Amino acid sequence: MADRRQTRNQIRGPHSALTDFLASNNISATQIHQNHQRRLREAEHQTTVEELENNIEEDDEYQHVGELPAEMKKRKRKEVVALVKIKQSKEFARRKARRMGEDGDEAIAREMMNERSQPLPGQLENCEACGKRFTVTPYSKTGSKGGLLCAKCSKALADDEKKTRAQKRGTRSGRRQNQSNLLDGLAQQGALSLVEMCTKKVADNINHIEEFGDLPSQLLHRLSQILCKRRVLTPRTLDLFLRPGLNSIDIYDAAKLETHDFEKIFAFMPDLYRVNIRFAGQMKDKVIEYMLGRNRKLKDLQLDAANLVSDTYWRLLFQKLGPRLESIKLSNLDCSLDDETIDVMCRSCTTLRRLKLKQCWKAGNNSLQAISSLMSLEHLSLNWVQDVDNEILLGTVSSVGPRLQTLSLEGFSNPNDRLLEAVHDNCLALTKLRFSHNANCTDRGFVRLFTDWTNPPLENVDFSSMCDMDNTNPEGPADAIGLASQGLVALMNHSGSMIQKLNITSCRHVSRSAFEEIFSDEKMYPHLKELDVSFHTVIDDYIVGRMFRCCPKLQKLVAFGCFNLRDIRVPIGVALIGGPKAQAPIIPVVDF
Amino acid sequence: MSASTSSQPEYVTLVSGDGFEFVVPRSTACVSGTIRRMLDPSSRFSEAISGRCALENISGVVLEKVCEYFCYHQKNKNQTHVPDMDIPPELCLELLMAADYLDT
Repeated sequence: MADRRQTRNQIRGPHSALTDFLASNNISATQIHQNHQRRLREAEHQTTVEELENNIEEDDEYQHVGELPAEMKKRKRKEVVALVKIKQSKEFARRKARRMGEDGDEAIAREMMNERSQPLPGQLENCEACGKRFTVTPYSKTGSKGGLLCAKCSKALADDEKKTRAQKRGTRSGRRQNQSNLLDGLAQQGALSLVEMCTKKVADNINHIEEFGDLPSQLLHRLSQILCKRRVLTPRTLDLFLRPGLNSIDIYDAAKLETHDFEKIFAFMPDLYRVNIRFAGQMKDKVIEYMLGRNRKLKDLQLDAANLVSDTYWRLLFQKLGPRLESIKLSNLDCSLDDETIDVMCRSCTTLRRLKLKQCWKAGNNSLQAISSLMSLEHLSLNWVQDVDNEILLGTVSSVGPRLQTLSLEGFSNPNDRLLEAVHDNCLALTKLRFSHNANCTDRGFVRLFTDWTNPPLENVDFSSMCDMDNTNPEGPADAIGLASQGLVALMNHSGSMIQKLNITSCRHVSRSAFEEIFSDEKMYPHLKELDVSFHTVIDDYIVGRMFRCCPKLQKLVAFGCFNLRDIRVPIGVALIGGPKAQAPIIPVVDF
Repeated sequence: MSASTSSQPEYVTLVSGDGFEFVVPRSTACVSGTIRRMLDPSSRFSEAISGRCALENISGVVLEKVCEYFCYHQKNKNQTHVPDMDIPPELCLELLMAADYLDT
């Protein structure tokens, strides 16, 4: 144990049990460490082994300049003995076997001898980088040329390594993020646009930004979207968005804003013609009063959850701004905006082209009746909480129907096939039709709606949750209720050429053969981008494969609860959401 | 179209407001819609003829980052789940303005 002897100059304390055990089994910690160091060095020098070997002779000459011939002879003899010893060692045999005869015995033995002459922990050595003399420790790092480094240089090297590693982690986009993007329907290929990347970066550093300068308004809009999604739109960050020259503001999450912040918006931006404020919980009567006093240009108003505004002020607002308003979107209002207010709105806002009322608890039949008097309405979206009278709804659809481009009726559970008939007879210019959560319309009603309908093909269709809700009869009645096989076929025949978005979630009485017919070989839906077929248990891998083939522009396929999907191969650029596996294998389109 | 592009030089020069010049492959520079339209031979703009785009309102530091993005974009062309490029925070607003101008 030559190694042991060399450590004689060290102070020795009591042995631990482990050390004793290792010693009894002929395992030495020093040797393990040494082997480790050697392996490190070997890895570094694998490519330059040849060179090293060639240099050995020269090194010898250089190192031993000036020694006497006798000394030289002695040294050579020792060397030969050492080499013979090495050649007999186990380590040598192991190494030779590993190299598979690439090098000669002599070369390997010499290499090993050279390694042994490397200083061990506890010895002194000159640092490879700075040349200082230092004590070798087990923590001394190997420098770029194979020599050891002093404590200071070792630390610098370790720091560098750490830094590069940290940077790598920073730029890597994690699996979790990828899945999150996929759920958002982002399966795009290649890098994000530089604008998008910078916008995200700006949002990351929003607290260090003092002003946006003259960013164009569409970028401000995007920034607002990101900040609101992260819920960091505070009074401080709001100030960044207030610029007198702009004429629109979008705040998707105003929950952290106080009353005076809303006033500030209208104080700084008197030219606003488009206001979109959601979660406006602190918006009060006096804000509306302030707005009415300053703003004279408002055309487009969207407010969400502004529950502290009283009916009196809603009416005042409609009366004052009425003739100018072109678009009103109000949602989540549960203690104001009653029938009378909506009546005032409909009488004052005579040029209204777009109206959306969602979850306004107080609006009922009379409101619906009032809406039928809006003669310039082009887009109507209603999501009613109260039950409505079928006749009144029919009357409204008949009177505003002919001009409508958008008709969205959510949560109306009473209407039956007569509503579909009214749509068939009156609506002639629709591009978007939503009618969801209803269990009274029948499949035959849908067939009639889409047969010989003078309306041009629809672009955006949502018939989600149109199904019979009888739990005791999961297959549904024989005469299918809701959108079922025939209705869907009729829909695709009518609108297939232009359709871009289709949502038929939970219309569970559509049969597999209907899907086969819709997505058969000769069918093509050239514009279909988004398709939601969640909870259609008849859909299987074959049907989905047909879908990918028939819809060349498909970007997003939502398939929650489609339990027959097993092994889908998703084309590049399509986001499959809710499939059986979190990440379905992605294949290039050419495989189809 | 392909005949005319093949006759054009392979590299174009982008000049920043403070006089730095960046010589980049034409295909990468055309990641930017603005530069692509500048260089479109059918436009007969002087940029298209000389292959040299002077971007007066973009500083050298920012333009360097933009060129880095061009290469990054080219490199990640047909890949999914591309990691974001590293953008120093102090540069992000200026870079955002430049990116908006360049339609990138």
